[in-house]
Amino acid sequence: MKINLDEIFDYTSFNVDRDPHIKLDENICKSCDQRACTNCCPARCYTWDEENQKMTFVHDGCLECGTCYVVCQNDAFTRWRYPKGGFGVSFRMT
Amino acid sequence: MKTNFDAIVVGAGPAGSSAALTMARTGLDVALLERGAFPGEKNMFGGVLHRLTALEEFFPNFWEQAPLERHIVKKALSFVTEGACFNVNFDTEESDKPPYNGYTISRPKFDRWLAEEAVKAGATLLCRSTVDDVIKENGKIVGVTLLRDGGELRAPVVIAADGALSFTAKKAGLRRPKFDPSHQAVGIKALIDLPKEVIDDRFGLVRDQGASNEIVGCTAGVRGGSFLYTNYDSLSLGMVLHLSSLSKSGKTPYDLLNTFMEQPQIAKLLRGGRLLEYSAHLVPEGGYDMVPELAGDGIMLAGDAAALCIVTGLNLEGINLATQSGVLAGQAAIEAHQQRDFSKAVLSHYRQLLEESYVLKDLKLYRRTPKMLHNDRIYSQYPELICGMFDEIYRIDGQPKETMTKLMLRKVKETVGLKSMLTDVYGGWRAL
Repeated sequence: MKINLDEIFDYTSFNVDRDPHIKLDENICKSCDQRACTNCCPARCYTWDEENQKMTFVHDGCLECGTCYVVCQNDAFTRWRYPKGGFGVSFRMT
Repeated sequence: MKTNFDAIVVGAGPAGSSAALTMARTGLDVALLERGAFPGEKNMFGGVLHRLTALEEFFPNFWEQAPLERHIVKKALSFVTEGACFNVNFDTEESDKPPYNGYTISRPKFDRWLAEEAVKAGATLLCRSTVDDVIKENGKIVGVTLLRDGGELRAPVVIAADGALSFTAKKAGLRRPKFDPSHQAVGIKALIDLPKEVIDDRFGLVRDQGASNEIVGCTAGVRGGSFLYTNYDSLSLGMVLHLSSLSKSGKTPYDLLNTFMEQPQIAKLLRGGRLLEYSAHLVPEGGYDMVPELAGDGIMLAGDAAALCIVTGLNLEGINLATQSGVLAGQAAIEAHQQRDFSKAVLSHYRQLLEESYVLKDLKLYRRTPKMLHNDRIYSQYPELICGMFDEIYRIDGQPKETMTKLMLRKVKETVGLKSMLTDVYGGWRAL
């Protein structure tokens, strides 16, 4: 048994809103020397592309825990809110 | 749709529903807002619900009324290394009879039940309602706006029970705009499917008995720990990691949990299990010093929004504090209605009620604990020391033994160091 985040949609339910509830100013991420979001996010929503010097954020599998909101030291968020009512992660059994 | 109420509660978790229930039972017209499609949909925790003394007045036979998984009779603390596990196990008949000391629960079931009890008492539950902002008039909070359609709800008093990040508290100016990562931990959890009979046999349980186990030493040096709890026919296995330590480590929560699941003594307990659900949530672990301003003009904070959480390593308390704070905030709102005064001066009676209850008394008592737990040695060197020592005590290898004292001193020197050990013992004694 293993947690494989490539298969997260197989075991955790989401009702994805097309309009993301979190938005980033990628220029701030470019100059960030920590990028703690990339390792701390339990859903691996943040990936840093070293070659292209680009931060990619995908909100689809976001567990809405708030870790990125707390660890980001450079206020890179132009928006950080919970999804609109009825959207986002849906814990059924936990 | 009706838009004026006597009170608005943001968040239908344990704190919010307790507040709504308390107010609705005295006849106040309460709106209980929940951003999920149903209460509990967004809520996640380790899995053990302590006895809720605050709700016993409402539910005298709580264990027969609430949807529970198992009642906890076995509590264990384990220190693990890559290949060994040292357990301290406490199993008592005293916890096998009502009122039970604690339970495992499933949040989608439990939170929904508690919110429905508030509805039965007369509260109006509005799901799919994410609060966008607070409405301020003359410096007082007089309502909230909703994200979906920009709708407004108004009430002379708002109770923010919207969890660890509480944007309601932020917008009302009650919490600092930025969190300190050393005050927050992230909890992740794997819910694992196993038949009831297998769980009973593996953990030595009968009927609806349950076991809870906190584990130290499984986090590759990152400050934090793991937990393993028995639900009726599933296990909750997870890990709580301090964010300041996790961010510096460069490690990921899921890799740490995957490695832990392969630790041989843990793997035996999980054998044959199937992953049902993966979830994550923040834990406000800063203790008393993190507690924000609890009341303002027209607003109070309850539960995680007020950072009411106690982590000592042995006890992890949250929902019991949340329900207690919700009931007390509800009582303060009722008094404010009687006086027709919702100013900070009147609502601050809520703080006084919390000070008089075990909530702030215990938080003050354990004020030094969060700092004591910010000691990296606890998470790697001590488990190595304990397991290493017992390995030598039990090992028969044809070599003459040394005295227990000598063995202990040698092991301490090899791992923690004598001076650090003395500092830690003193620190631990002061903090607990």
